[in-house]
Amino acid sequence: MQVQDIMSQPLVIVSSDRSVQAAVELMEQRRIGCLPVVDEGRLIGIVTSRDVRNAHPNRLVADVMSGEVVTVAPGNSLWEAKELLERHGIERLVVVERDAPLGIVTKSRLHSEIGKHVDSLTGLERAEFLQRKASELVKQGREIAIVFLDLDDFGTIDKEYGHVFGDEILVLVAKRLKSLMANGVDYLSRYAGDEFAVLTTRSLDEARELAIRMVTALQTESWPEGVKVTGSAGVAGGRRQDVRRAGNEIYTVSDLINMASLASTAAKKDGKPMVVAEKVCLAGESE
Amino acid sequence: MGAKEGKQSSFSEPTRRGEIVLKLSEFEFPPMRDVLLVGRKAPIGPEAVRRMVDALSPEQYEIIRLQHPLFEAVVVKKSLLKILPEEKLLPIILEEGERVAAENTIVKVQVDVVIYVSRAVEL
Repeated sequence: MQVQDIMSQPLVIVSSDRSVQAAVELMEQRRIGCLPVVDEGRLIGIVTSRDVRNAHPNRLVADVMSGEVVTVAPGNSLWEAKELLERHGIERLVVVERDAPLGIVTKSRLHSEIGKHVDSLTGLERAEFLQRKASELVKQGREIAIVFLDLDDFGTIDKEYGHVFGDEILVLVAKRLKSLMANGVDYLSRYAGDEFAVLTTRSLDEARELAIRMVTALQTESWPEGVKVTGSAGVAGGRRQDVRRAGNEIYTVSDLINMASLASTAAKKDGKPMVVAEKVCLAGESE
Repeated sequence: MGAKEGKQSSFSEPTRRGEIVLKLSEFEFPPMRDVLLVGRKAPIGPEAVRRMVDALSPEQYEIIRLQHPLFEAVVVKKSLLKILPEEKLLPIILEEGERVAAENTIVKVQVDVVIYVSRAVEL
């Protein structure tokens, strides 16, 4: 899901030589809270309902607009847009391609759309977030690793204690795992049912250590009703390489997640807490 | 009732006349004199002033944006700044401007600078 899929269109704009009165009327008429200010096809500012609230109606838009506009490309992911909004503490982004404004994406629209990709039980992001974020990091040439954690025999808890109790355990597991994550380094998601996955920018060795901490945390935690909750982890790491280099097998982010998932299955099968898949060369998902 | 109607009918029909008054004076050019103080909520903002100044007297005025509770900007004739530096002129203009202006006004200021020079020559 990209910014261009949810941006509001057609874009209503105003030029800097219009009056504040004209801008207010335009906003009221179109029931919108802001207008990108465009002169000769180029975005030069933004004027919001807050800007015009106390301004004299005779003033030029140029005199009340904010000249610092935070923009986003139409191809950016929703999560990239969310990060931009949070970093700048603003309510909306203007979608721009080659200096030309295309649309607007608001905080409420973005949150509502991203909310669809958040697991309502645990509050963690779902698998799609992991894919997008991983592709984004690979495009930047960053080293990434995936830790895939599969809870052992979780169906038994559901069968013996009921699904409501099982859900409570899943929430507690998510909370415990979340406490092990470093902000801006590890991205935890609920991949499916009783499977959790972490995208991390740590090295493969550090990701392995994180996986051990995750497995140990589950083993040592005191769970309600004294149930035993354990998990098996698989780790796979990769870095973007020159895709044209001969002899290098290139994997996608999906392959990396799959390798980590298979490694966790192997760990479970072999009765080991964790198995590391080998480090691979990656190509971005969109390539 | 009948008597009242009889009284009204004694009025004459009203007449309407128009009067034209002309006041002719020379257009002051440029219209902002030496200094213009632009209030924060004035009907014209600094950008509008800049566009007006650029159109009427290109390159003759400088717009200085201010961090001031009343004024958003001050427009000063460049030739004035050549006689008196900005850091000497502005505090005086602002101090006096504050006494007469509100944040919704634009004040034009005429500034006359007289420089007294006294030189001694060796005889």
